[in-house]
Amino acid sequence: MHIPDGYLGPQTYAVLDAALIPVWMIAGSKVKQALKAKQVPLMALAAAFSFVIMMFNVPVLGGSTGHAVGATLIAILLGPWAACISVSIALVIQALVFGDGGITAIGANVLNMAVIMPFVGYYVYRLASGDAPGHGRRIVASGIGAFLGIVTAAIAAGVEFGLQPLLAHTATGQPLYAPYPLSVAVPAMAIEHLLFFGPLEAAVTMGIVAVLAKQDSALVEMKPASKPLRWLWAGFAALVLLTPVGVLAPGTAWGEWGADELRRTLGFVPAGLEKVGGLWTAAVPDYAPAFIANPFVGYLVAAVLGSAAVIGVTWALGRLLSGKERTAPPTPPSGRQP
Amino acid sequence: MIPALQHMGDPATRSRRGHRSLARRTADALGRAVADVLENDELASTPGLMQSLDPRVKLVSILAFAVATSLVHSLPVLLGLTLTTVAFAAASKVPLASFAAKVWSTAGFFGALLAAPAATAWITPGPVLVPLGPLSVTAPGLLIAARLVTRVAAGAGFGLLVVWTTRWTDLLRALSAVGVPELVVATLAMTQKQIMSLLRTVENMHLARESRMLSVGTVHENRGWVVERMAFVARRSMKTADDVYDAMLARGFDGHMPSLAALRTRAADWGWLLTSAAVCALALGIDRMVFPL
Repeated sequence: MHIPDGYLGPQTYAVLDAALIPVWMIAGSKVKQALKAKQVPLMALAAAFSFVIMMFNVPVLGGSTGHAVGATLIAILLGPWAACISVSIALVIQALVFGDGGITAIGANVLNMAVIMPFVGYYVYRLASGDAPGHGRRIVASGIGAFLGIVTAAIAAGVEFGLQPLLAHTATGQPLYAPYPLSVAVPAMAIEHLLFFGPLEAAVTMGIVAVLAKQDSALVEMKPASKPLRWLWAGFAALVLLTPVGVLAPGTAWGEWGADELRRTLGFVPAGLEKVGGLWTAAVPDYAPAFIANPFVGYLVAAVLGSAAVIGVTWALGRLLSGKERTAPPTPPSGRQP
Repeated sequence: MIPALQHMGDPATRSRRGHRSLARRTADALGRAVADVLENDELASTPGLMQSLDPRVKLVSILAFAVATSLVHSLPVLLGLTLTTVAFAAASKVPLASFAAKVWSTAGFFGALLAAPAATAWITPGPVLVPLGPLSVTAPGLLIAARLVTRVAAGAGFGLLVVWTTRWTDLLRALSAVGVPELVVATLAMTQKQIMSLLRTVENMHLARESRMLSVGTVHENRGWVVERMAFVARRSMKTADDVYDAMLARGFDGHMPSLAALRTRAADWGWLLTSAAVCALALGIDRMVFPL
């Protein structure tokens, strides 16, 4: 995922490089508040760990090997802001000492691997692990967080690549930097991380959290839910309330046409599609519950029902996989911060 | 000069197909990483054009070249910038074969892999140069791919020049001088030392496993061992952080980071900076005026 120089145009890398300065300043301030003067060796060791974990070859199927990034793991051990600084430092050293990753693309690489990956991974971990005191559910939650963290970071990289043909091209439309449009770049990055690197990251993170939980459980203990998690719920509620805006958008998403729309557009429906298209009838077709006439209210109710179903299934799976562990509440360690 | 980090393959830990064990492969890669850093420092200490520059001037000028490379769109100018990196490497007594191999392996190869589909009619329609059905190579596609690969190679070349001709301590001084906070510079300095220490530790772990193994082990066994060792490194890192802080306190650390020694620019450094600015401006001028899009 290390983007070298040359793939991103100046419109992209200049904005990303500049945007990271306030992020680093906030991260430095947050870490300083929590860790005081001990921050330098702790950050240095965490950055060194972040670097070294990428050098472990992990055996995967077919005799090949891959490597993990470890950003979510460091966020679980030290908190997301500390992970942001540690992984950033590791990326800067990789670029300046080992020539891995571009100089102008440092902003993009830091955004993907040191900001998006640890923050998404950490808050998904917090959300999925809930307040369960045992380790089983947290181990599973760490895997889910690591998986979604790396997949989201990969999609962000795909978006950065995919924007290049739109931002910089010749008069005839030839791209000047990364040549693939969003429709190619995003699926390409997403699919390889969904199928290969995501499961690897999840397996490694779960394995390490499980070993640490057994050998030195203070390292993976968690503070009670704090403000950021409450803000996450508040943001989620705001997004649900905004879903009716989607009704204003005309047409259907590209590639999601139904048989009726295809008939209107093409004049016919492919035989195979017509044959299998009616195999399943959705309970709430087109996000419009049959018992609600107003489309805006119907869309909102569908959003609430769908979200509740996803949260319920995730919670139930977490309970099931954790083996319903119940032990004494943990004592928060002194060195970590939320 | 370079410690014995290159390990010879031991037939006892080769699979039936002759593949080296995971432990041996990883130990070799870690040994190479440590050796690369030591070789870089050695190369940065030899006399040469880039080595003689003030590190601040070098950093700023190479950044200017990297930005100019990203702004240039015509293939001839990009090729010229790529050749400029080779000329700078030669003038700095950098082994050209190693330089070319490193640029190609880190950027060119993956750039070419990524760019290859863009050269075909599948992604870029246009007049066909090599007919291969949907994978026919088109003229505009080839231009797009060539532009991407050349730009990536030039960018990697400039980046590598900084890496190979600047001692890590000088780079930290340059970062400090251009306004990077002392706390960040100190963390970077400490990180590099700890990386080397952890690389050695992890390399020794793999070598110890290698020496005890009678076979290459199953994927499941190897994965379990790797994960367990990663957890060990995590615990050790956290513990070492406390030890390092205690050592800092014992030596009188009071929360302030001492500044690194000041740098002094010479007339030659200013001359280099002006020349670099002129070359970048010339490259952009030729790109915009001689080869307009």
